[in-house]
Amino acid sequence: MHNVFLIARREYRERVRTKAFMIITLLVPLALAGFIFVVGFIVNLTSHGTKHLIVVASSQRTAETIRAHLARGLDRQNRQITEGRQQPLKQAADRPSELNVDSDVNTSPEERRSLTQKVRDKQLDGVVWATDEALASAKIPFITRDASSFIQNAKIEESVGQALHREALRSKGLSDQEIDIAMKRVELDPQDVNGNGVANPQVTFIITVVMVFLLYMSLIMYGVNVMRAVLEEKMSRIMEVMLSVAQAKEMMAGKILGVGAVGLTQFAIWIAAAAVLTGLPIAAAAGLKGAISIKAMVAFPVFYLLGYTLYSTLFAAMGAMVNSEQEAQPMQIIVMLPLVLTSSLMFAVMESPNSPLALWASMFPLTSPVVMFMRIALQTPQWWQIALSVGVCIATIYGMILLCGRIYRVGILMYGKKPTLPEIMKWIRYA
Amino acid sequence: MYTIELDKARKAYGDFVAVNDLSFSIEKGSVFGLLGPNGAGKTSTIRMMIGITAPDSGQIRTFGEPFNRKHLHRVGYLPEERGLYKKMRVLDHLIFLGELHGLSAAMARQKAIEWCTKLEITEKLQSKVEELSKGMQQKIQFIAAVMHDPEFVIMDEPFFGLDPVNATLLKDVLLELKKQGKTILFSTHRMDQVEKLCDAICLINRGTAVLQGVLKTIKGQHGKNTVQIEYEGDGVFLENNPLVGSFNNYGNYVEVRLAPGADAQQLLRTVMERSRVNRFELMEPSLEEIFIEVVGKDNA
Repeated sequence: MHNVFLIARREYRERVRTKAFMIITLLVPLALAGFIFVVGFIVNLTSHGTKHLIVVASSQRTAETIRAHLARGLDRQNRQITEGRQQPLKQAADRPSELNVDSDVNTSPEERRSLTQKVRDKQLDGVVWATDEALASAKIPFITRDASSFIQNAKIEESVGQALHREALRSKGLSDQEIDIAMKRVELDPQDVNGNGVANPQVTFIITVVMVFLLYMSLIMYGVNVMRAVLEEKMSRIMEVMLSVAQAKEMMAGKILGVGAVGLTQFAIWIAAAAVLTGLPIAAAAGLKGAISIKAMVAFPVFYLLGYTLYSTLFAAMGAMVNSEQEAQPMQIIVMLPLVLTSSLMFAVMESPNSPLALWASMFPLTSPVVMFMRIALQTPQWWQIALSVGVCIATIYGMILLCGRIYRVGILMYGKKPTLPEIMKWIRYA
Repeated sequence: MYTIELDKARKAYGDFVAVNDLSFSIEKGSVFGLLGPNGAGKTSTIRMMIGITAPDSGQIRTFGEPFNRKHLHRVGYLPEERGLYKKMRVLDHLIFLGELHGLSAAMARQKAIEWCTKLEITEKLQSKVEELSKGMQQKIQFIAAVMHDPEFVIMDEPFFGLDPVNATLLKDVLLELKKQGKTILFSTHRMDQVEKLCDAICLINRGTAVLQGVLKTIKGQHGKNTVQIEYEGDGVFLENNPLVGSFNNYGNYVEVRLAPGADAQQLLRTVMERSRVNRFELMEPSLEEIFIEVVGKDNA
């Protein structure tokens, strides 16, 4: 056991000291931070800056209705974000009114020109030209510097539309109260079978895709790392020195543990960084606050460890079989095949995480680590399914360690030509 | 008292028998040569001694007990195929290998520095292995094999690739270890390199011992029937000469094994007829001569 520890520790130390490790470890949080700040910044720019709009209409009444709807429309947007996150956004309340809307009944071309000039000079942010003419043609000019901001345009379009509905209903003699009831918006509130609200389905979905992708990539990356490390030891012949003090199984175990621990360290740093970054106010603005659920954070390392142990055992045996990188290339594809299969199943599983396909893929040990994690992150499968999936995976790992351990033990001392399948079968049978 | 005893040890890989019922014992404190040409089964034999592989049949006893992995901390091994972790620093590497050999981290550090001082490579302690020359890497590997003060040191082709200065340095260190009472096993196909160092030898060919025992006795048994001749002129006198059993031409001189019952003086006269003789020495046969003789007979 002491040897395993020493070998694992060496592997770990040497790996976390490399530049490649540091760069990759820092790159992910940096990318996340960049993403959050960019999205947060854009959201801030488009919806949270104080904007000054002017509504120009032929009648004061129309102008006032549109003005009121514009102001209210943006209010609701804020409320949605607040409620969706299930914790009030303090900052939103603190923030001054985001939209400053004035009305104007001067519809002359000169007024339009002068207002346009004001928008150009940044004295104004936009002009909604809702004259009777425009209303009749159902095309309302909106004069703005960033005409392509479709989120802003959609909001204004919606508000103006609602204002016109209100006007129409009012002209039919309905009271404002009746109109409110008639125009009440309904929202969908998705819940899982346990009655847990889903924080924000789109964000959860995107985060899940990202985490599944990370899991998938790390299984390949660290698995291949183990194979390379074994191959390197074999090619540099350090294996011979090592074998005079440590047994092959100790070397294999040490290698797998050491490289695995490097992966865990990396994830610990990433998760900590993600927790800190998504806790920032700006992350909330970007709609990312608390987007990574606790269960996903717990399930991630568990399924990484299961998947990694299984695949790295296979990769270690591969590394022991071959004599060079060139020989290793085609062999590693064989091991990667089930992982590639997993990635092609990904979207089918995401679409319906409880389908028979998803169920079976989350039980089959070579696909289960990724697929089961995906199901857990998207919703919570029944506990027996999780237990069965983990159990099958552990049993497979045990069998693989026995089998691959034998291939490894013989393979590391075999130089020269690539072994054939019958030869490998013979290795397995050696006492 | 024997450091290691092999009793009919056998190892086969498929149909190929690498070691065929090999038996020998190495006395504690002696220098033992495991000799034979490439592919004779030397490395396979050593691998069984240190538990890298297990014998198919037969027995191996280390330090008077049946082989046990816990004995390995008392053994140092310099393999023929050498390697180190290229990216590691020399000191870290030696500490790592020392710890694997059962030393504490502090002790391993101390020993590593001591040995590097002895072998004159202290300035490389903080260098990465890949920055070292091949000879220096070999020194590091040698240190790794002896730093934990093993009672039994196994050296597989230790002088391979070393320049004469370093080969002498290494030889002196090994003789010092012998003086300290360590048992040393040399495995090599370069018999001339170790015949001056060994007390006893085992010559193997195709996995079987063809000759073994105390070196002096073996040489004695093969008698003073070898002649070294330095001459000028052609060597035609060697061909079809009834006095010459076999010969080995080294260019500058020729080593001749006399035919049974042949008289050395008579050979000298024949040679002088044909060429100018600068040196004519009657001597013990070299191990190589003996080997060729024995294996030649064996093959016939």
